[in-house]
Amino acid sequence: MISETVKEEKKLKFGLFLGCNISFNRPDVEQAMRKIFPALGVEIDDLVGQSCCPTWGTVPSIDIVGWCAVAARNLALGEEKGIDLMTACNSCYGSLNEARHKMLKNPEIMSKVNEILAKIGKKYEGKAKCRHVAWVLYKDVGLEKIKESIKYSLDGITVAVQPGCHFLWPSEVYPDKEKDPFNPKVLRELCEALGAEAPYYTKLIDCCGMGALRSTDPEKSFILVREKLECIKEEIDADLIVTTCSSCLIQLDDAQEKLRKEGKINFSIPVLHYVQLLAICMGFDPQQVAGICVTPRDEVIKMILEGGKR
Amino acid sequence: MPKIGVYICHCGENIAGAVNIEEVKKFVEKLPDVVVVRDYLFMCSDPGQEIIKEDIRKGLVDRVVVAACTPRTHEPIFRKACEDAGLNKYYFEMANIRDQCSWAHWHEKEKATEKAKQLIAAAVAKARLLEPLEDRYVELNKNVMVVGGGIAGIFAALDLANAGFKVYLVEKSPSIGGNMAKLDKTFPTNDCSACILTPLMVEVANHPNVELLTYSEVEAVEGTVGNFRVKVRKKQTYVDWEKCTGCGACLNVCPPKARVPDEFNEGLSLRGAIYIPFPQAVPKKAVIDPDACISCSGRWFGEEPRRTKDGKPILAPCEKVCPTGACSRDEPRDPNGELIELNVGSIIVATGYRVMDKKHFKEFAPDSPNVITALQMERLISATGPTEGKLIVPSDIPKYLEWKKKVEKGKEAKLEARKPHVITFVSCVGSRDERFHTYCSKVCCMYMLKQAMLLKEKYPDLDIYIFFIDVRTPGKDFDEYYMRCRKLGIKIIKGKVGGVQRLPDERLLVRGYDADLGKPVELISDIVVLATAIEPNTDLKDLARKLGINVGAEGFLRERHTKLYPVDTMTEGVFICGCAQGPKDIPDSVAQAKAAASSAMSLLAPGKMRVEPLISEVNPEKCTGCGICAPLCPYGAIEYVEVDGKRRAKINEAICKGCGVCTAACPSKAITLHGFTYEQVLAQIKTIARKGVIEEV
Amino acid sequence: MEITEGVPPVINLTEVAEREKEEFEKKVSELIIEFGAENLLACMQCGACASICPLARVGFEWYNKKLIKAILIGMKEELLDDPTPWACVACNRCTEICPRQVAPFEVMFAMRRLMVEEFAIPTLAIEGLRSLYEHGHAVYMTGREARKKVGLPENPPSTDSDEKALQDLRTILKNTKLAELGLIPME
Repeated sequence: MISETVKEEKKLKFGLFLGCNISFNRPDVEQAMRKIFPALGVEIDDLVGQSCCPTWGTVPSIDIVGWCAVAARNLALGEEKGIDLMTACNSCYGSLNEARHKMLKNPEIMSKVNEILAKIGKKYEGKAKCRHVAWVLYKDVGLEKIKESIKYSLDGITVAVQPGCHFLWPSEVYPDKEKDPFNPKVLRELCEALGAEAPYYTKLIDCCGMGALRSTDPEKSFILVREKLECIKEEIDADLIVTTCSSCLIQLDDAQEKLRKEGKINFSIPVLHYVQLLAICMGFDPQQVAGICVTPRDEVIKMILEGGKR
Repeated sequence: MPKIGVYICHCGENIAGAVNIEEVKKFVEKLPDVVVVRDYLFMCSDPGQEIIKEDIRKGLVDRVVVAACTPRTHEPIFRKACEDAGLNKYYFEMANIRDQCSWAHWHEKEKATEKAKQLIAAAVAKARLLEPLEDRYVELNKNVMVVGGGIAGIFAALDLANAGFKVYLVEKSPSIGGNMAKLDKTFPTNDCSACILTPLMVEVANHPNVELLTYSEVEAVEGTVGNFRVKVRKKQTYVDWEKCTGCGACLNVCPPKARVPDEFNEGLSLRGAIYIPFPQAVPKKAVIDPDACISCSGRWFGEEPRRTKDGKPILAPCEKVCPTGACSRDEPRDPNGELIELNVGSIIVATGYRVMDKKHFKEFAPDSPNVITALQMERLISATGPTEGKLIVPSDIPKYLEWKKKVEKGKEAKLEARKPHVITFVSCVGSRDERFHTYCSKVCCMYMLKQAMLLKEKYPDLDIYIFFIDVRTPGKDFDEYYMRCRKLGIKIIKGKVGGVQRLPDERLLVRGYDADLGKPVELISDIVVLATAIEPNTDLKDLARKLGINVGAEGFLRERHTKLYPVDTMTEGVFICGCAQGPKDIPDSVAQAKAAASSAMSLLAPGKMRVEPLISEVNPEKCTGCGICAPLCPYGAIEYVEVDGKRRAKINEAICKGCGVCTAACPSKAITLHGFTYEQVLAQIKTIARKGVIEEV
Repeated sequence: MEITEGVPPVINLTEVAEREKEEFEKKVSELIIEFGAENLLACMQCGACASICPLARVGFEWYNKKLIKAILIGMKEELLDDPTPWACVACNRCTEICPRQVAPFEVMFAMRRLMVEEFAIPTLAIEGLRSLYEHGHAVYMTGREARKKVGLPENPPSTDSDEKALQDLRTILKNTKLAELGLIPME
């Protein structure tokens, strides 16, 4: 005889929130997401009509209600469809969740925001939130499924992980929290699921210097990225830097090349967003999912496709 | 033959870290009469004591030597263990191989081991000669004298009185209440100081077991624990307190020429030569300050009055206005007052503190009336202060007083006193300052915050700056209090003020440093409040000398042990509490006062006290009555008596403390100090001189 | 943007306080609280925020701790020219560790908001706002080679390809303080 409780498998579905940097600067990250998620059984909604999150230097610098209103419109696009948003950009993740946190904490802000949204026939109740792709992969998809899905593994390859600031703090505002944000494990475990070594290094949680600092004073910004790169080189001599933030990706990739040209560093470590790395391991075309970079990544990709370092 | 057990303590690593225990053990095993040698991690612990007790019970040993730490703290513990196991506890000897051995020679382990051997050998040498002794008991006088009538003294007196002890509460001022009576409100609850203090003052004064001796000072102390004889001088009040009702009629008639700075208002206003310290004074009695009185009637006490043409006597205004005749000058009065003698079993010292005067701090423009001490600020904001709590700049207090006088006389007058807009507090004035006091006065941070909070809550438009070296708020609810201040918008700046300068308009230029911004700052302030250091009262050293207790380098009374005996002193029966022991706040002062009271109670409650039999005894057959010993005795325990018609020294057992001075001085070796006989001490010395070899008896 | 002389070598607290009282409608600290740093006054200047602040690390002068102190004593004019708040990466590590829950990041951003009111706003920020209004993206690029190269349609599914959505966003922006201040042209 057969006895079982039949469980309905919940279909995973998220609104893919792109943000400006991925849309225009690093569309290969977008392409990577468009490849990997359906293959992992996660349905993607395009969230048509989405805009800038808004990023820190824009409305958040003017006033809180305006910030929340722009964020709420984006979040409402998901809420209307009963789905959460999902992003591969820490800035979007931070801005949208901080805004949501402010609205939930302060009903006055929430009602002012909805007064504004009403003018375009929309409302936001605080239900839809923005998830981070790393957390979706870690928690919703799961490490086992990731391991099953890859064709190439990173045997013998050492990666330096860069979770990025807005993946970690303020932990209060985020829907998913590292057990210890000062010693984050999610990205390390995600990389290990691909067969890589992802050791701790001293400046793992340090800021890369991107964002407003980069636009205000690039030289000062480069101090931080250089410190970080040197730490990675000296302490763990990584073959690859893996991040879950599009801003960190740009900074570590771009600035590295500049530092090299200025003779401030004499090494080169390729940088990939985690979704790009996963897409490569799953066998998608590297040109499409990781085709845009400043610091060359051909060698490391070749190494992966050839079965890792061993 | 005695059977000696030697017990060597490791004291964790304290001894074993420097002394080679195994080597010492091997050495001790060979000493004469030693039958048991054991070592243990902590000999004073329960299992450690049990090792000794078990050996005694089994009859293995009948003399015990413990080689461990200091007898000062641990001898009583081991004696008790011996007694519990059925051995006379004076068959016990201790060798200190820690304080003067392992600790002192921590880096010379071989020498430490060698020294430990010799010290233990000396103790064994003495142990072979020990005699059994019996404890004695002395009767105790159950009365207690509390010196100082501030909050600490009041609480100590009340606790003792409630427990049924007779208390003499001696206070040098005309009223009890102390410094707390001057405070407006008290942190961290902001309850009114007078409201919580006044009922206690009344309670202690009316308590049937308390005899209040205000305007009195301790002149001399004799005797020892259980039997102190104290001479107290009741100062001349020049007012008949039997008759004085405290009506206050005399206060206003005292002429302007006789007015002097008012102590209660910290000099912010004047009082007459005849005065009641403050409206809530207990007892509420007037006194005449003879230094201020100008004898305006032309006669002093006991002198014939001058007379008008028609022969009527000319009376002083106070005399004239007094409804009860308490101020009469007809009788002469002894300027020295009256000397009385008290017999008490214990003494509690609670003489409090004073705050440093601003005059010491030249860099802060002390000559400006608008630079004031924090205690003056208390008076300025207190409803019983010179301005009834109206906030004006101190330089305008004279204007205020004039205005008040006019209004009281029913005249119309406009008050033209300036209100302050900016008040600046300066911390650590005289505290944490090598030029004055190295210690932290402990309460200043909190009272500055308190004053700032009270001011800001009452006058929200005031700009208040507090300059701190660092904010110290280590008390219950204290840091929360500090946060309340910050949230009120009081500007708190880390960095000390280095200079205050007087401006022509009596405002003040304050020069400080903002360590957070890393820049010097300056501002113009209407009032500058100096948190001047708490320091011991001037006569504290003198009192300490009379009581035979110690003062520390900073002049506060020194406790017997900082942690374990915090209210005890080196003189048994004398306890200390409150700010006389060191700067502290009201909660701590009260807690200490209650601790002192309870220490006095547990000392006196049994009515008699066990005294160790380690005292001196005269052998009248050897004594020649030479008279050397008696004058040397610091306790006055030796007298000369007739024995078979001959003059002989006799030692009063109740008084002798066993110090050994007489024993050492006696030329005919007629005096034995029990527990430290010639034979015993010599055996110890010889053993050490022979590097641990014990001479056969 | 009004050009001020910055913070002088000696800070005159009397002048600062008087200006705060006479020239401003509200105290600087009150404004900062209103602009989002609700717990400003709880700051005890421990400096933990500065210890991990990327801006402090690379040598900006008015990083979190110092900015808070300057605000607490009432400074404003002196700080308007300073670029520090605009360099804040909003990393929020300070918020995570602040023992008084001051959220120094909120102070940095409240300062930005206060500076905006005084039109002390960097050109880059104006450009970002304009781009946001015009395209719905603060970072916007006309060249779409990269998208095509990786096999994506030229336009992302955002306001960039949805006129109605763009108009909605503009309506929202027109109803915020951004429009009140008139920082950018809005049709």
